[in-house]
Amino acid sequence: MSLTKLYTPKRLSFLLLSLLLTACISPNSDKGRNLNDPRTKGIDIAIQDCSNCHGLNGQSISAQFPKLAGQQPDYLKAQLTDFKGHIRRDVYGTQFMWGFTNLTQLQVDELSVYFSSQPPMNGSVSSSANLKEGESIFNNGLPAQGVLACSSCHGPLALGVGEIPRLAGQHSSYLYKQIMVFKYTDDRPRGQAMKQIIHNINNEQALSVAGYLSSL
Amino acid sequence: MRKFSHQSRVQPRLNVTQEYFSLWGLISLISALLLLGLPNHASALPTFARQTGQSCVACHAGGQFPELTPYGRIFKLTGYTIGSLGNPFSAMVVSDLTQNKNNTDLVSNTGISSQNNIPLIDVGSVFIAGKLTDNIGGFAQFTYSVYDHQDGSGNWRGHLGSDNTDLRYVNRFLTPTNDLILGVTVHNNPGVQDVWNSAPAWSFPFLTAPGAASAFAGVPVSTKLEDGTLSSQVAGLGAYAFWNKSIYLELTGYQTATGFWKFLSQGYKPGDPNSPLTYSQGISPYMRVAYTKEWNEQNFMIGLMAMNTNIYPFDGSNLPQYGVVTHYQDKGIDAQYQYLLDPHTVTAQLRYITEKINDDTGTNANSNRLNSFFAKITYVFRNEYGADVAYRSVNGSSDIGAYQNYATTQASSYSTSLSNSPNSKLWTPEVFWLPMQNLRLGLQYNMFTQYLGATSNYDGNNRNASDNNFAYLYAWLAF
Repeated sequence: MSLTKLYTPKRLSFLLLSLLLTACISPNSDKGRNLNDPRTKGIDIAIQDCSNCHGLNGQSISAQFPKLAGQQPDYLKAQLTDFKGHIRRDVYGTQFMWGFTNLTQLQVDELSVYFSSQPPMNGSVSSSANLKEGESIFNNGLPAQGVLACSSCHGPLALGVGEIPRLAGQHSSYLYKQIMVFKYTDDRPRGQAMKQIIHNINNEQALSVAGYLSSL
Repeated sequence: MRKFSHQSRVQPRLNVTQEYFSLWGLISLISALLLLGLPNHASALPTFARQTGQSCVACHAGGQFPELTPYGRIFKLTGYTIGSLGNPFSAMVVSDLTQNKNNTDLVSNTGISSQNNIPLIDVGSVFIAGKLTDNIGGFAQFTYSVYDHQDGSGNWRGHLGSDNTDLRYVNRFLTPTNDLILGVTVHNNPGVQDVWNSAPAWSFPFLTAPGAASAFAGVPVSTKLEDGTLSSQVAGLGAYAFWNKSIYLELTGYQTATGFWKFLSQGYKPGDPNSPLTYSQGISPYMRVAYTKEWNEQNFMIGLMAMNTNIYPFDGSNLPQYGVVTHYQDKGIDAQYQYLLDPHTVTAQLRYITEKINDDTGTNANSNRLNSFFAKITYVFRNEYGADVAYRSVNGSSDIGAYQNYATTQASSYSTSLSNSPNSKLWTPEVFWLPMQNLRLGLQYNMFTQYLGATSNYDGNNRNASDNNFAYLYAWLAF
């Protein structure tokens, strides 16, 4: 059958009608793509919008975007609030997240619950030779450089608590960039304490600890 | 859309000092850029950036429009509906300067392109774009080309017309195991609906010299999927599905954009001496299949495309000459690779299209073949500094009717082939700078290693392929 015969107006009309009818049985609402409607459910925004970068289950594929699966809900709420208010100003956040200015508090809460309740982010196998150095920095800090142990706040398993984020299983590239944001800028005011804690960490050490955390 | 114009009139030979980039020209161009750049950053964002609140880099690879990221592809496939309803208007302006290596017709000893080495405010477009509902969105571009054609006195005249237009209705179904986007698109150019930049409509070079400034913008012959013949001439109605961010299927039919569909071909009229509407016979079917995969910071696509179209020739009054047509059957394969992780962005595209041409009009040989190959790689650093290299090759059947061997009898011969061959090869290196996310400054060099069948003396009047080389400096501002 030639394409011309296949593509008859009758068949096309049937296709269009089918498409319109499918809208009625959609398991989640296309309204999730509307970022300016307070009636939109957080779960629909998560599924139709956030999932494009962070993954449907919060396991982002690309290290451009942090994994959100199993993240601490209070941390997610705090970051969404800061993006919404344009308080968090790091370049990656502004490029992708500053559009969420109209989220309601309910939507923020629902988004946080959705992603924090997903199965925790998976670590990736790392071949880095510096894993042991990274593990040591995480557990013991760098006393000679005045760098505190990460585990003292983020917990011995790097699971985080409250507004302190889970780091275990996060993309190493994302973690490294955030360390640099804390070290060199004031673009994340809520994390100001980090600036003092990691001020003297050097780039190689930051890579090591980021690599270790991503492997958990 | 920029159409290659064969209507450039022969101009008096330019003097030697005009054949090099002049200080005056550069100063004028930079002044124009600064003037164009005056709108403040926040208010100067195009519609989609305003609608989503996101930077251009979210949807455009390395910030370099129009190449799309995986998220940009989803944004387009979901009908431009992500974000908030807002001001749908935006615009773009292109200012450029072209320098041809040899702008002299070796037969008549006169200048070929009158706007050679002159800074131009060349093209302006207005966009009406964005979401209309949560399922409907689109964009419509209307473009004014300042140097479109010359009047009887040799003065350049502009042209306002429809440009890229794509309107969509979309549903997306997401479950933990399935992600299905189903959509319908109405558009006016085969491929303008495509989301991969290896497909012709949105592939490199995104800008090239206007016909007024260079008679050699791009390879001289190309396939129907690539040469823009049907751009803003047709109404396309298509349906597509994108499943699990991996399989893309699309079927579209095209017909001449007349009657109800006239809004897709504004500015093109039957019989118009400068902008005639091209008529195709019946419905031209188009099919697209693609497979794509994302892993880590990389993604890859391989696809197939095919289109059959039958086009009526123009009569002496630029009206369609019904009764006979030229049949074009295009089949293509393309691929794209992207690495996206700041500060590095790499994108690469490959495309091969083979076209079978059966001409019932008697003008050309009845059965011809045209093969077209395209490859390009781009690197962008920190979404700001970039470089591209592209290679284009076209080869096919020799045809005295199609490629016009009248080199020895005509006053101008630079667009004719002594060997009646379409075979051409073009290298295009480019560097560019994105000082702001909505401004692209680029310097491109177009280097022919073969033109219409030969490297040297391709026209029989001692013109070499390399004589057609040209440099192209541009500023592209969207706001």
